[in-house]
Amino acid sequence: MALQNKYSRVFHSKIGEKMINNFIAKFTKEKIPFIKVKIKYFLENKELEEISKQLNCKIISASLFLGEEEETFKPSLALLEILSKTSKEKVFLTDIGEIDFIYGRKKLSKRHIKSMQGKNRRKLVQNEYDENLGYCKVVDEINIKNILDCGDFLRREKKSKTCIN
Amino acid sequence: MEFTKRYEQLNGKSQRIDLLTSIRVNTTKISAKKLIERLEKKGVTLGKVPFLENGYYIEKSKVSISALPEHLLGYYYIQEAASQIPAELLNITKKDIVLDCCAAPGSKTTQLAEKAKAVIALEPNEKRRVALLNNIERLGLKNVIVCDQDARTFKPKIKFNKILVDAPCSGNYVLEKGWFKKQSIKNFKTRAELQKQILENMINLLNKNGQLIYSTCSLEPEEDEMVIDWALENFEIKLEEIKTIGDKGIINPFGIRLNNEIPKTKRLWPYKTNTQGFFIAKLVKK
Repeated sequence: MALQNKYSRVFHSKIGEKMINNFIAKFTKEKIPFIKVKIKYFLENKELEEISKQLNCKIISASLFLGEEEETFKPSLALLEILSKTSKEKVFLTDIGEIDFIYGRKKLSKRHIKSMQGKNRRKLVQNEYDENLGYCKVVDEINIKNILDCGDFLRREKKSKTCIN
Repeated sequence: MEFTKRYEQLNGKSQRIDLLTSIRVNTTKISAKKLIERLEKKGVTLGKVPFLENGYYIEKSKVSISALPEHLLGYYYIQEAASQIPAELLNITKKDIVLDCCAAPGSKTTQLAEKAKAVIALEPNEKRRVALLNNIERLGLKNVIVCDQDARTFKPKIKFNKILVDAPCSGNYVLEKGWFKKQSIKNFKTRAELQKQILENMINLLNKNGQLIYSTCSLEPEEDEMVIDWALENFEIKLEEIKTIGDKGIINPFGIRLNNEIPKTKRLWPYKTNTQGFFIAKLVKK
């Protein structure tokens, strides 16, 4: 469903929607309802859609950001967290693994990995509490490659001015 | 400018303090009890901020609290204690659609969103919006609409019962090294004009009996009591008493007599409250 008001040009690209649906399908059979604003996807929230129609201004985001279309679909960390609630495609890290992963280490090996589950090469990366830290590509049984980690929040924040207010 | 004398005229001081870092627990993701236990294991000791609902001081920490996994997982927001007061004073419930008109970097937006049905966050500056969007995603909030919109020209089809105006201001000496050297009365007056324009539009968007919190992290009366005095003079509003820390607003700054209701506002002198400098007023539309 598209989020619309007269100031936001909204379009539906079936190719784009296929991209997000294919990505979700790699991790779970559950459907995640979403809306699309230009090239960005947000978790569906009907109340926000109704409110947005009353605002008369350019809407940048509404509800939780799930990802965006670039050359491929680029998921958000919020989407990975949602997927981790139902997915079985997971890698569990050790304490050291967790820290190395979120600080952006590209490759993780035996000492970082506690266990793996699922059959796909793309896996969600979890800490000891089964909390999502990002996702990765499995190289082999003892090596993974970092694709996206939650340290990204910090890296993005450093690019913009931080404020404690 | 001689701030020592200026602040003495206001019965205050420009005394430096060691500001304690504080956080706000994101209760949509974790309880305070669980977070305290987890951080304790990592050598971080939290102490409750007595005047806040979910605010905690970092009493001891061996690590950088911004780099901890719990921060990146959105379990807390690093937010100065005084800055956590305004959103609490709106008494938000799950029925409220709240307007936050100067939203970035999102500390108060995310605080409001924890309790509200929905939050409309206005932020016209693209660079500042990066932090706002980042924080909404990190805290996992599903009820925020972010708009590329200047608060002065916002004309929605609806009006609001609750609005937060955390106005752009000249800041205070606790937050910034060399702040005294950078500031002038001219700056304060320029800021005040902007603050009045924002406040005027926001009062117009308020329903009858609707509540508006006006706050700044400025200690300058030109941006605080005098803006509220101007609003009381020009609009059908009244002030409501605020129950929190701090002194009463100043009724006669520099010998200028203001509206009798001004003492219902709050002024937080850093050396008295151990927070940054802050000013808060709660307005109700008649």
